[in-house]
Amino acid sequence: MRIPQGRYGRLHVLVIIAVALTLVLAACTTTDESDETTTTAEPTGTTEASTDTTEASTDTTAPPTGGVNNPGLYVHAADDEPLSLDPAGVAAGEAGETVILQVYERLVEIGPGGPDLIPGLSSEVPTVDNGLISEDGLTYTFPIRDGVVFHDGSALTADVVKFSWDRALEMDLPEGNVSVLSDLVESTSVDGNNFVVTLTDRNAAFLNSVVTAAVASIVSREAVEANGGVVAGQPNDYFSANAVGSGAYTLEAWNRGETIELAVFEDYWGEPAKLDVRIQQVPDSDVRVLGLRAGDFDSIETDPTFITDLEGVEGVTIFSEGWLLEPVHVGLNLDIQEDLLPPEDTIPADFFWDPKVRQAFNYAFNYDNFIEGGLSGLGGVVPHYLPQGMLAYDDSLIRYETDLARAEELFRETGWWDEGFTLTVLVEEGGIFETAGLVMKDSMAALNPNFVVNVAAVVEVQFDTAHGEVPFPYAAWIKNADPFADPAALFAAYEHPDGEWGSVHKFRNGYQDADGIAALIDEAAVSIDTDRRIEIYQELTQLLYDDPMWIIPGNERALMAHRSWVQNFQMNPLWPRPSLKFALFDK
Amino acid sequence: MQIREYVIRRLLVLPIILVGTSIIVFTLGRVGGSPIAIYLEHEMTPAEVAEIEERFGLNKSLPEQYVAWVGGALRGDLGYSGVSAAPVMDVLPRRLAATLELAIAAAIVAVTMGIGLGTFAGARRDRLPDHLTRIFAISGAATPIFWFAIVLLIIFWVYLGWFPVGRSDAAIFASIGHPTGLYTVDALLAGSWTAFKDAVWHMALPALTLGYGSTAIITRMMRSSLAEELNEDYVDAARAKGLPERLVLRRHARRNALIPTVTVIGLGFGFLLQGTVVVEIIFIWPGLGRWMADAVLRGDRATIMAYVLFTSILFLLVNLVVDILYAYLDRRVVLGS
Repeated sequence: MRIPQGRYGRLHVLVIIAVALTLVLAACTTTDESDETTTTAEPTGTTEASTDTTEASTDTTAPPTGGVNNPGLYVHAADDEPLSLDPAGVAAGEAGETVILQVYERLVEIGPGGPDLIPGLSSEVPTVDNGLISEDGLTYTFPIRDGVVFHDGSALTADVVKFSWDRALEMDLPEGNVSVLSDLVESTSVDGNNFVVTLTDRNAAFLNSVVTAAVASIVSREAVEANGGVVAGQPNDYFSANAVGSGAYTLEAWNRGETIELAVFEDYWGEPAKLDVRIQQVPDSDVRVLGLRAGDFDSIETDPTFITDLEGVEGVTIFSEGWLLEPVHVGLNLDIQEDLLPPEDTIPADFFWDPKVRQAFNYAFNYDNFIEGGLSGLGGVVPHYLPQGMLAYDDSLIRYETDLARAEELFRETGWWDEGFTLTVLVEEGGIFETAGLVMKDSMAALNPNFVVNVAAVVEVQFDTAHGEVPFPYAAWIKNADPFADPAALFAAYEHPDGEWGSVHKFRNGYQDADGIAALIDEAAVSIDTDRRIEIYQELTQLLYDDPMWIIPGNERALMAHRSWVQNFQMNPLWPRPSLKFALFDK
Repeated sequence: MQIREYVIRRLLVLPIILVGTSIIVFTLGRVGGSPIAIYLEHEMTPAEVAEIEERFGLNKSLPEQYVAWVGGALRGDLGYSGVSAAPVMDVLPRRLAATLELAIAAAIVAVTMGIGLGTFAGARRDRLPDHLTRIFAISGAATPIFWFAIVLLIIFWVYLGWFPVGRSDAAIFASIGHPTGLYTVDALLAGSWTAFKDAVWHMALPALTLGYGSTAIITRMMRSSLAEELNEDYVDAARAKGLPERLVLRRHARRNALIPTVTVIGLGFGFLLQGTVVVEIIFIWPGLGRWMADAVLRGDRATIMAYVLFTSILFLLVNLVVDILYAYLDRRVVLGS
């Protein structure tokens, strides 16, 4: 090629070179195809946290390529930093639970293969059959395991267990999760080496939702008494930033904004951990993905939007079995205050009172778009109202599917078809909640151009602030449900007419038989007959399908990306986020 | 007016300005949302919210809250950082040191590259090297910093594995004391070559990212200034005396060309400090920018207010020092007052 002469000719060449360099750099960002490709496991429809069944991850010999980075150390990249490490002060779902799960223990635990319970610091799981649950279901006896020591060397006794629970109850921190204890526990006592709990009322979810909760973790009494003791209504500054438990790990350091370092506890009573742990704070999702690819991170907090960046990447396995117990919810407000709504909204206060309107929204929603798009295919539709993996779930349970003809029919019957409406739904910006909002918007517009859904996407703190306001100042909101191990807690919060959301959104304005639904939910919560509970929840599913208080866009699969050199990788959505117990892993 | 009176007058006015600043910061911290938003959960009852408010003294009147807050600040207690689960003064110095260290390193990169490239280009005005240099420099200003950071990570972290992310290797960091909070300085003070190398290696990519954007301004200023100086008579005289061109450039022209360039460098350092947020997030650098971004997104107003107050006071004090220096350098400032 003849290069043009003169100054401007050389400039042309320079521009061409610059463009070429840019293209080369852009090409470097594409993912690699590799012979080491691992595939995601087929969904099993259960929450059993089985090990990844792909070939690479069941290979227990030396890692396939390039050796192991950080031998002896497991590095997990987290997207969030704890506000507190104190079991008495940590909120449900908050990042502090990650550390509490590793460093502290509870009387019973959810096993790796969950949801079945296994003995923890109690040497047996109480049941009616073994006599550790009284016939009336009100008294639970936990025989305390011998030979357990805390990280400070003090011994575990039944008195220490009572001290731990009483501590959380006395501190009663509103930012914590103590209400799961205080709402149910009437008294605690010690009988020899047994810890005895008496409940105010029978509760089928006591063991798997309360005893396994972070707030019920057992702390070292000596460490508490040496560091501020117990002061009613006040957090303990020492335990907010330190941890003295009996778990497989000790807390070595919390370098704020950087890392949390956990070390193997040599005197652990059970199977010792094999690797030290570093929980690295990495707020940017792209950097987490890059770090996994670089091999500096062994696992990362992931969501479905990252999967396309990681599929087929050499040395990376995508674990995808089981389901999160946090289905995405669209909350419909039955306590609308018209003067609080955004000015462009046109709906009246009783807009959602008619079940046909709520049914119509459910029929209009494009579930396929959300699951294939927002969840990258890693999700499923939820029956109304039992997520996959929960007690009483069955594949045959009725669930909403997109049916535009039925939606139109219902909107015509209710008179909204010709009139149209405008409403605003509040979501957190970015991520799957905003996607769900946009799918809802597009679904309604596709059904009828006069149905306008505005999506107000705001940052997390703004969403949380508005979300907590009573009355709620929007027509609807979108967020995932709080994770619950048992349907009793889920139904109490999300379906009971007088429950957490029932009272905020005034479900009684809409339920056709609020008392009937309440009676069924209450009966299932206290019944210790599992078969009867299953029967009730399946009956409720049909009732709530006809009288839905929510739109459920979908449920995510339990998802985690990790390096293929990690052995024994397991994930159980019933464990607090990120649903990992590092003590099980090796590399 | 004598200089002494000028200085005294400025010092007497300073507390009034500080009080005004604190009132503005306090008021802004109470506007547009709850000061304890970071601790609130949607399921909290009004009684529980009130309990948290009482713990932080928010049940008192606004003047009482202000007095308590200022009183704490005067004792060195700027409140409790929710995002860090620690008192602000336990966290702020370390974060400040990390950001300062990164900004200084980025400034070194920018100054080295800027002056070097500017000299190179200015001495070859309107020739190919000049054009290449200007393209390189302008691309630094035009390239989005987050994109450039990600590209560097992909090349040097993921594919080549030459550079790490974060501020340090945890074990090496813990092996030395940190009296200054500046990792490189602390490593030198401890006599640890391992720690020094670790500090520099971790800082390389973020400093390059942050510094590259400032390079363009310095390069262009240096190039223009040098090109002008090279047209001056004294340069012709130096050449006529038979001095080698490199000596003409280094001993004469460049020195004079640096005068306006240094002014630009000084201004640019302030922009560097502001630009650390994105770099700190992407390179997992535990600095002030990332801390503040986290506090804003999570509604930790105590941290935000403490930071704004601290930086406001710092800014006022620096300006005071600068004004006093001006008074010594240029008497017209004092006479004009």
